[in-house]
Amino acid sequence: MRSTTLLPLAMSIFLLAVLAHLGFFDWQRLARGWRNLGILGSEMIPPDMAILPTAGAALWETVEMSFAGTLLGLLASLPLSIFGTRRLFSSWITGVARFAAAGIRTIPVLLWAIIFVILFGLGPLAGTFGIAAYTVGYLAKIYADLFEGTDPEILEAVGSTGASRLQIVRFVFLPEGANAILTQLLFMLEYNIRASSILGFVGAGGLGFVMQVYLQTLDYRRLASVLLLILVIVLFMDGMSAWIRKRYLLSAQVS
Amino acid sequence: MTPNGNETVAVQADQVWFSYRNHDWVLKNISLSIPPGKHTVIMGPSGMGKTTLLRVLAGIARPGKGHVTVFGQSIHALDPRELSSLVGYIPQQLGLVRNLTALENVLMGALGRLFGGKTLLGLFPRQEAEKAQEALDMMGIAHKAAEPVFCLSGGERQRVAIARTLLQQPRVVLADEFASDLDLALASEILGRIRRAAERENITFIMSMHRIGLARLFGDDVLALRNGAIVPGFIGNEILETGPMEAT
Repeated sequence: MRSTTLLPLAMSIFLLAVLAHLGFFDWQRLARGWRNLGILGSEMIPPDMAILPTAGAALWETVEMSFAGTLLGLLASLPLSIFGTRRLFSSWITGVARFAAAGIRTIPVLLWAIIFVILFGLGPLAGTFGIAAYTVGYLAKIYADLFEGTDPEILEAVGSTGASRLQIVRFVFLPEGANAILTQLLFMLEYNIRASSILGFVGAGGLGFVMQVYLQTLDYRRLASVLLLILVIVLFMDGMSAWIRKRYLLSAQVS
Repeated sequence: MTPNGNETVAVQADQVWFSYRNHDWVLKNISLSIPPGKHTVIMGPSGMGKTTLLRVLAGIARPGKGHVTVFGQSIHALDPRELSSLVGYIPQQLGLVRNLTALENVLMGALGRLFGGKTLLGLFPRQEAEKAQEALDMMGIAHKAAEPVFCLSGGERQRVAIARTLLQQPRVVLADEFASDLDLALASEILGRIRRAAERENITFIMSMHRIGLARLFGDDVLALRNGAIVPGFIGNEILETGPMEAT
C-alpha cells in the first residue's frame, strides 16, 4: 500500500481510538447531555437585562484590560521578535529569544493572571499584565517568523546600501510586514477580549468576576445577558477589524 | 577616491570558485578585470551563474576559492558601510519595499551614511531628500515620488531602483537582469537614462542580461557565461559588433 493512502488510514484509525477513549461513543451519556443542555438553555431565556449597568462597567474594564494588555504586549514583542530573527542575529541570540518566547507562550493566560494577582494583588492591573505576557509570547513568535520570511532580495538590496540592523528593521521589516503585523495584532485583540472575560475567575478584574457570581448562584438568565454583552463586543471588534483592514490593507493587496 | 585603492581597475576577480552548500561549483575559476567607467554586460542562458557572479562581485556571497577586489580593496575586508560607498547592488526583482513610496525607497540609498535616531523616525536631512528627488527626476519619474511602490508599473519600479542606487553614490553598480522584463522601447529609454547618469557620476556599471539588443545598446564590453565559466573569446566587445549570441 502506498504511503499516501496508509497515512490517512492510520490517522483515521487513531482518531476513532481517541474518540472512543474520550467517550464519544457513549450514546446514553451523549443523549443525557443534550437533555441537560436544553434545560440550561431554557433557564437562560429570557436574559435579565436589569444587570446591564453592573455588567456594563465590568465589560468596560475588560475592554480596557484587553486594549492596554494587547498594546503593551505588542511593544514588548517587537524587540523580542527582532532578536529572534535569524537573518539579523547569530543562532545563539535568536535561540535565546525564541526560547524565551516559547517559554512565555507555554504558560496559559489564566495562569499568567494568577501569577500577576500574586505579584500586584486583585484587580484589572493583574489582568492587564497577564494579557500582555501571553500576547508577547504569541506575537514575538509570529513576528519573528514573519520577519524571517521577508524577501531576501530586499534585504540584499537594502543591505548593500550600508543600512544598519536597526535601519533594516525600520525600513524593511516593519513596512514589508505591516499588513501581517496589523492583522495579527487585531486578531490578538479579539482573542484577548474573549480571554480577558474569564480572567475575573481568578480575581484579575473584568467580566469574569460577574460571570462567576452568576454561575455560582445558578442565575442563568443574568449569565445569559453577560454572554450577550460579550457577543456584542466581539461582533463590534470584528466589524472594527474589518474596517481597519479595508481602510489600510486592501489597497496594498491589489497589485 | 579610496585611500589605498587601485584606480586603474574598478572590479577584479581572481580565480573565483563558488558553490552553494558544497554542492557542484556554480562558478568555476572566474577571472575578470573591469576598468573604471566602463559598462559591462554579462550574458548567458538562465542558470549559468550570472546572478551568482554578480552576488559574489557585490560581496553578498563569499567565494569558496579566489578573491574579489574593488578599486584594489579586498571586498570581504570592508565593513558594510565602506562597501556601500564602493558597490551598489540591484537584484533581479529590484528589492524595493512595496509599502513605501518611491521617494522613501530612493532615500534608503542614503542609509549607509546616516546615523542617529532621526532617520529611524523617517526624518532625512533636507540635502538627502533633495538629492533623492533629483535622482527620481533624472530617471523621469519625479511626479511619482509620493506613490507607494505597489502602485507603480514595472518600468517605474526599475527607475526607482536605479534612483536608489544613484543616491547611494557607489562607484560600481551591479544590476541583475535589469530591464529584462520590459519591452524594447521602454528598456532602451531607461538604459539610455542610466548611461547618461553613469557618465555624469563616473559610475562603473555591470549588468547581467539575456537580450542581445539591450546588450548592444548598453554595454561597452560583453562577458559570456556558460556552465559557470567565462566563455573564452567572448571577453571584449566583439559580440556587440558581430551579432546575436547563440543560445542566449
